[in-house]
Amino acid sequence: MEELGSAATASIRMGEMAVACDGAELRTLLGSCIGVALYDRRRRIGGLAHVVLPQARQQTDRPGKFVDTAIPALIEQMETLANCELSLVAKLAGGASMFSNSAVVSIGQQNIDSCERLLAELGIPVLAKHCGGEQGRRMLLKTENGEVVIEIVGQDPVNL
Amino acid sequence: MLNADQLSALQKLFHEGSIEASRALALWIAKSSVIEIDAFEQIPLEEATSLLAAGDEPICFCATDMHGLLSGKMILAFDDASGFALAEMLLEQQFDEGEGWTDISTSAALETTNILCCAYLNALSNHLSKPGEPIEILPSPPQFRRDFAESLLEFALMEQAMVGDNVILARTKFEIDGTPVHWTLLFVPDAEPMSRLSKRLKDSE
Repeated sequence: MEELGSAATASIRMGEMAVACDGAELRTLLGSCIGVALYDRRRRIGGLAHVVLPQARQQTDRPGKFVDTAIPALIEQMETLANCELSLVAKLAGGASMFSNSAVVSIGQQNIDSCERLLAELGIPVLAKHCGGEQGRRMLLKTENGEVVIEIVGQDPVNL
Repeated sequence: MLNADQLSALQKLFHEGSIEASRALALWIAKSSVIEIDAFEQIPLEEATSLLAAGDEPICFCATDMHGLLSGKMILAFDDASGFALAEMLLEQQFDEGEGWTDISTSAALETTNILCCAYLNALSNHLSKPGEPIEILPSPPQFRRDFAESLLEFALMEQAMVGDNVILARTKFEIDGTPVHWTLLFVPDAEPMSRLSKRLKDSE
């Protein structure tokens, strides 16, 4: 996992995650996967995971790929960076079904449901989400203020 | 995971498809055309989504689902300029990129994808069929999307991502009238049929 500081921008690829602070930005491009952004407003520490599937089913070598391993691992990394327990909020994006005749049309919704369920269990409120539809998204988390910017081809950017 | 011998056998098979697809494209656009397998590879999931190196610019995908012995997706990917150049070549009229993709330019791209995919899949079917045991690989009608390359590839690779951390895909390059064009034909097979296909190739050796 990558840790970023001092106003850099990191790109998070499919199944990966990273944490950042000090105004650094994290970004990812999403299709049916989900971008899970976690943020602590007081410490200005953020984390972003690009999760692919809801459950790891005992696969632990790629924690960033699965909802049930990525979220706990991301929290752990953020708290290691902060050296204290954090008060986190979440924002979610992604889960598109880009080709209607595909066999994987439901995976996006399953990912969203899993994220929301696990975040609720962990007591982390989901402040905003931008999910579903048929188009991909570029998701950018700004650790300066916790803002998440969503870009979709042919549309104006949306701030979450 | 497929081993090097299995990948090599599959690459040879797809080379047969490329020959037929080259012929079909040359007939369709009335220009000499060469389609070649550029890479047939098994790569980590996180590397695969950046394969088209399109950066932040949107690209166009015409995607067809394959059904039968070999299932998965065939995708013709191209940037706007290359796509409009194709439409102009086929329809002998100018398209204004500023107006975006119209029904007629989209239709030209989709029909080209349909022709390429059918030629490819027919060649694969013929090559894999045995006397009295024909093989069918059927394409669905292609669908057009214009979006971020990584988002589109992510969706195309999802079937394989569900069963493993590496993905198999084949990439082709195109030449029209001896000049390389920025089109890429991608084969994104589902994971399970690739093992079946590899076994059939081994059996037929």
